[in-house]
Amino acid sequence: MKDSRNCSTVQLSGVLVTLAAAAVVVIVSIFILSKTPFSTIYYFFIGPFANKYYLGNMLNSVVPLIFTGLGISFAFKASMFNLGGEGQVYAGGFIAASVALLIPSLPGVIGIFLSLLVAAVCGALIAGLSGFFKMKWNTDELITSFLISNALIYTIDFFITGPMDDPTNNLLATRKIASQYHLLRIFPPSSLNISVIIAILAVIFSFWILFKTNHGYELRLSGLNSEFARYGGINIGKYIFLPMLWSGAFNALAGAVSVLGTTHCCIKGFSNGVGWNGIAVALIARNNPAAVVPAALFFAFIEAGANSAMINADVTIEIASIVKAVIFFLITSRVIYNSFRRKALV
Amino acid sequence: MQTCLEMRNICKTYSINGRTVNKNVDLTVRKGEIHALLGENGAGKTTLMNILYGIIHPDSGEIFINGKKVFIDSPLTANRSGIGMVHQHFRLIDDFTVAQNVVLGMEPRHGLFKFDNTKAEKDVLSVINKNGFKLEPNAKISDLSVGQMQQVEIVKMLYRKADLLILDEPTSVLTEHEIQNLFIRLKKLVKTGKTVIIITHKLKEVKRLSDRLTVLRSGKVVGVRNTADVDESEISRLMVGRTVALKPIKVETEIKEEALKLENVVLKKRRQERPILDNLSFKVFKGEILGIAAVAGNGLSELENLLGGMVRITSGRLLINGQDVTNEGAAVFRRAGLSYVPSDRLKRGSSIESSVRENIILTNHHRFVKKTGEIDSSAADEFSSKLIDNFNIDADPSTRTGTLSGGNIQKVILSRELEHIDGLVVFAEPTWGLDIASSEYIYKKIIEVKSEGAAVVIISSNIEEIINLSDRIIVMHSGEIVCETKNTEDIDAAVIGDYMLGLKNDFSKVTNER
Repeated sequence: MKDSRNCSTVQLSGVLVTLAAAAVVVIVSIFILSKTPFSTIYYFFIGPFANKYYLGNMLNSVVPLIFTGLGISFAFKASMFNLGGEGQVYAGGFIAASVALLIPSLPGVIGIFLSLLVAAVCGALIAGLSGFFKMKWNTDELITSFLISNALIYTIDFFITGPMDDPTNNLLATRKIASQYHLLRIFPPSSLNISVIIAILAVIFSFWILFKTNHGYELRLSGLNSEFARYGGINIGKYIFLPMLWSGAFNALAGAVSVLGTTHCCIKGFSNGVGWNGIAVALIARNNPAAVVPAALFFAFIEAGANSAMINADVTIEIASIVKAVIFFLITSRVIYNSFRRKALV
Repeated sequence: MQTCLEMRNICKTYSINGRTVNKNVDLTVRKGEIHALLGENGAGKTTLMNILYGIIHPDSGEIFINGKKVFIDSPLTANRSGIGMVHQHFRLIDDFTVAQNVVLGMEPRHGLFKFDNTKAEKDVLSVINKNGFKLEPNAKISDLSVGQMQQVEIVKMLYRKADLLILDEPTSVLTEHEIQNLFIRLKKLVKTGKTVIIITHKLKEVKRLSDRLTVLRSGKVVGVRNTADVDESEISRLMVGRTVALKPIKVETEIKEEALKLENVVLKKRRQERPILDNLSFKVFKGEILGIAAVAGNGLSELENLLGGMVRITSGRLLINGQDVTNEGAAVFRRAGLSYVPSDRLKRGSSIESSVRENIILTNHHRFVKKTGEIDSSAADEFSSKLIDNFNIDADPSTRTGTLSGGNIQKVILSRELEHIDGLVVFAEPTWGLDIASSEYIYKKIIEVKSEGAAVVIISSNIEEIINLSDRIIVMHSGEIVCETKNTEDIDAAVIGDYMLGLKNDFSKVTNER
């Protein structure tokens, strides 16, 4: 017992040290890149909390990140790589919007449930395809998931800009979905809506699945040591396929709640990196569903801070991206984390 | 005689678990001697050597080389101080040649960047010749035998001008023949002024090879002796703290029905004509121990994979408790009645990143699944605590398995596999790398399993183990059964050894038809 507690304190302090290092890097790079460093720092760190609108929108942008973070974590836990997050998020949003547009007259709760469900199932099948190929022919899921996702993005682009484009506005997007499909806004004037509750439930569900059930036990063992799992009689082929299903489903839900909760239509390219950012979130959270929430919060905060600094101070989009990139490089490199951990161990 | 190395008052406690692994350890090694460092698993000998080699930093203590105080904080500084270490697990690059591996890190160059392969091969050849090794500098590592790889490791250290060589369990992977060659080479090396420290727990080798010895127990030095002055039983008493009977007592058990049957099993690799397992047929009956011996590389590990359900065969049949399970996979093998203690404990036998509980419940975990799909954690805890007690494992259910010693990991595996026995238990290299006390414990368990009426197969390259435990012996050489015999009192280990090495192949099959 003592061992494991020690380990988790070490881990936690490792993460905190990394975060502190990241903050230092942000401040230093702002001093180098900005002519008005103090106001830039103010907007970067305080901007996201400046008013209800900013705060609510930042919290709202956490939701899809939680879903993709969970999605990627599920795959990583089983030692599978899902690089198709971006396409799966996009497809999830597109499918959710399509369901709402095809059957606009369904009562709200049922309609929302149905469109989320269909989106999740489609996402699961898309990612599951890569898992299936790997199980069957040992193709590399890293490549197939990426390729399938890319093909999907262009296909969906075609539908949104072509047959399903809404001619009444000049946005490249589908028509607006019926209002009973909208997820309830809970923090006006921001877009924060009840999807945040769905996300928390998803976190609890994932934690339960991974750490409390037999399915999760077998999945984690297959991921940690597939030879051991096979030796113990676990069907490891199953745990090549199933984690990809989970992964795709969660990624698709990220897109679906964005459409139903925030945009209310499927805008071309709305996923905008959420799929990729899910990988960063999963890495920060070290694939632990419970840690996905703070990791996603941190990620959303950095995004919102960079945006706020961009709008209010002299930071350009390139500089904001550089700062963001440096932070995630630090966080995901694990160098600081590991060196700290090693020191604590020796 | 001149002192080559002196370590004084070395202390080391791991902060993570508060375990003290070295307590005021003193070690003195004279120039030109072969010094054996002895102790059980977890006695602290590898830690001590890792401190000397700069891999681990001690809490306190001093190190003197040739009377001069040195600070060693990395293997590189150790090399500079003339210390070289050959690890138990080789650190070689398969696709590189011998010479390229040897010079790696201090390569001769043309100009600033270009690697000078010709000079590397020339330099390495001169080191090889000077010290009486038999190696081709331009041979690829992947084409070498294990014994030759070890030579490469030693040459690597000599190339780095090491005067003090540390060898960690050098014989555990070698055949008898290779061990002899190694010993001859080491003795030649010390004649040229080198000094050798050998970490081991094989008493016979200590007697044969070393000049002096230091014994560690629970992190403390319990004895320093001239090897000529002590006998094996005294050394083992120093190591364990009591006398042990290494020779297990055989138990006569009634032979019952057949538990395992192989019929003309052939295993071929794709695009390879020569089979790895060539037409194997044998039976194992409940109440007997069948020992299968071979030198590594002769199909032993493939046979292990086959019996564990980890590999598909090309032709033939395999039956467990009368059920045809050919090519069915581990799950079906286990349901048919197999328990299997694998040779690779860290990769196959356990998941070192998982807790002890998660390791113990595998194969039994279906018992704890509730209707909701949840694992009943309190029942699983109770189950694993019970097995931890029964098998005297030094751990909690929540301990990370990777932090346990080798002997304890093997006990975790044993507890899982022996908890439920259904007629057949396969042990592969059951005591490989384990100390005397753990080996003794495992031998006791094996005998116990047999006397409870199960069929036991022991796959081992350790001929002593096979002869001490088995009722029948099968010897394999290059994938074929070259000898099958009852294990009687007058059986000669040397003859079995000849079969293992392929020196004899006049199939002296003692039929076991019943």
